[in-house]
Amino acid sequence: MNSLSLSPALRRIILEAFILCVLSVAVGLSLNFKLIFNAFSGKAISVPGYTSPVPEKATAENLETSPSFPMPVSLDELDELLALDAVLIDARSALSFQQEHLAGALSLPFADLNSHLVAFKQQVSSDQTLITYCSGYGCSDSFELGERLLKEGYADVLVYEGGLPEWKSAGRPLEGAGQ
Amino acid sequence: MTLFGKAIYHGSRLVLAAVFIYAGVTKANDIAAFAGQIANYKVLPYAWNYLVASILPYLELLCGMLLLLNMRVRPAVLVLFVLNIVFILALSSAIIRGFDIDCGCFRSNSNNPTSPLAALWRDLGLLVLMVTTWMLRHGQQPEESE
Repeated sequence: MNSLSLSPALRRIILEAFILCVLSVAVGLSLNFKLIFNAFSGKAISVPGYTSPVPEKATAENLETSPSFPMPVSLDELDELLALDAVLIDARSALSFQQEHLAGALSLPFADLNSHLVAFKQQVSSDQTLITYCSGYGCSDSFELGERLLKEGYADVLVYEGGLPEWKSAGRPLEGAGQ
Repeated sequence: MTLFGKAIYHGSRLVLAAVFIYAGVTKANDIAAFAGQIANYKVLPYAWNYLVASILPYLELLCGMLLLLNMRVRPAVLVLFVLNIVFILALSSAIIRGFDIDCGCFRSNSNNPTSPLAALWRDLGLLVLMVTTWMLRHGQQPEESE
């Protein structure tokens, strides 16, 4: 037993290392509480300084009554919508899209929207169901792109808030140069 | 300790400090993107990627700062050593499964992604620096100050 016992100095080092870990957990959780909470609960977008006006998940009823905001959809709902020919729209940069994107998605970078919108409108008809996404719960580009597309005349726009991280984590197919 | 030993100790400590402060700051600047990079490894459930991404940068940053300040060096090195072993296991797993992904070691969405194999070699190098710093720390200050 004695050979397995740690010296007081080593025990102290391990205790201090543990305290460092506890401190980091406390800082990380307190600074990113909303992000973590939303990721675990699957709630609406929440980034610092941004409050989502979306009250709840998309349903047939609130899609009809609240057409000015894109409704969030879960991964399961996304599957059903894709089976009905909904179109995935990647709101990230063109470079990120080239690297990797959800299989079958179209690129429409929100940061450079004006230079892509005309071509996009020629390519995708306004009666299509569109589902925007970006880099997960910490990213608001997909929601803002959804809002803009609704203003541009697209009647049925939804937001997949889990985005690329959730899609990857679920083992869904990806496309792009990095694949 | 000889002058050469002191130079090696401080050199190793400062290199480790620079690497982990840089890594911590770049990851903390974009937690969501870092979560995506962790998700690339396909080892954690979806939401856990966010949890790990929210904590890890601050652990790296805190340990890096302690190394820079030459305070609590051994506890900081111990934490980083364990972290590095976890990184090496994750990278090895990615290599074995044939994933061609960015290691997620530093800046998110980098235009020059680091392959898991390159990151593995770098992490092995960092392990050597950690062992060196741990061993030479003994000659720098009495154990009580740790």
